[in-house]
Amino acid sequence: MEFTLLGAVALAAAGTGGALWFEGGRTNPPGSTRRLVDTALAACLAGLLVGRLASMVAGGSNPLTHPADIVIVRSGVDTGFAALAALLVLVLYGRHDPWATADGLAPAALAGLAGWHLSGVFRDAWLGTPSSLPWAAAQAGSSVTRHPVEVYTALALLVGAVALHLWKRRAARAGMVGAVALLIAAAVRLATEHLRLSLGTGPEWWYAGGVAAAVVALGWRFTATRRREPPA
Amino acid sequence: MDDIPALPTTDAAAMTALLAASDRPVVLNVWASWCIPCRSEAPLLRQAQAEFGDRVRFVGVAARDEQDAARAFVAEFGLTSIEHFFDSAGSVPGSLGAVGVPHTFFFAAGGAQVYHHAGAIDEGVLALQIDELLRREG
Repeated sequence: MEFTLLGAVALAAAGTGGALWFEGGRTNPPGSTRRLVDTALAACLAGLLVGRLASMVAGGSNPLTHPADIVIVRSGVDTGFAALAALLVLVLYGRHDPWATADGLAPAALAGLAGWHLSGVFRDAWLGTPSSLPWAAAQAGSSVTRHPVEVYTALALLVGAVALHLWKRRAARAGMVGAVALLIAAAVRLATEHLRLSLGTGPEWWYAGGVAAAVVALGWRFTATRRREPPA
Repeated sequence: MDDIPALPTTDAAAMTALLAASDRPVVLNVWASWCIPCRSEAPLLRQAQAEFGDRVRFVGVAARDEQDAARAFVAEFGLTSIEHFFDSAGSVPGSLGAVGVPHTFFFAAGGAQVYHHAGAIDEGVLALQIDELLRREG
């Protein structure tokens, strides 16, 4: 793994770990941090593996005949399959108390994603489509100023993480914080995707699917909890 | 692989001449069949060539490799739309200050180097640098 990619992983891990450490005993139950860290780690690794395998197969490379290629994650990780695998592992690890697990991880997941996107600044992968806005930036030696799209994404996710942290204690219905986190993560990517440069078709429909799934989860948690409320 | 002809040999001087004579911007990828990151970025380069091949010239240089292995690599990843050359001594990357493989260089029309990416390239960086090349061309 290259040092720039290692740095990106470190920044994402620092965001997730830092948020979980900060929330431990505050908005997360005391003693829950280690379990949540294990869950987050397992979900990330599963997402990375499945996303990489999907990307290899889509690119025409056989993971069975070239297993060493799997570790070259820089060359592509299919976002949709990675997200699905990570969510599946999340459900598996938190099956005894899924909504509390989702709520416990929600701000940390957004903080970790923010760290990952922010790492684009030192990976030469933070600029998007051209822009003449005052804060638009150009790469060295270029006169073309561009949207610092990964900074937008990181800031939006970070604001979302802080907002969820502040809201977590007041959210009466279990699972709503997790559902809102999914909504924020998917909506931020969906909103910024048109500012990114890519080769051909982008994964917008995955993010639209994420927004839709989050809205369904929100509605489910809202109505399910209301049904359980005792009659007045 | 049998339908892939032997890759024409090149060296630093020939590649410099090719870049200088190009009326289109050039994406120059230095690879080797034994290099694992090269295998991983090959589908991206094929995809980029399919999308931008009419405006950008894609050139591959198999460095410190063997002809048969290099031809098999081109066949396996369907890279026949990319112009490939064979540089057994690795003089092309050496002249560009690159050590090891892979490396991807971006040149404006006429041969001025715009950007150099060491290591496996990802979609975002590749798309951004191609966009930079095209916008420089106006």
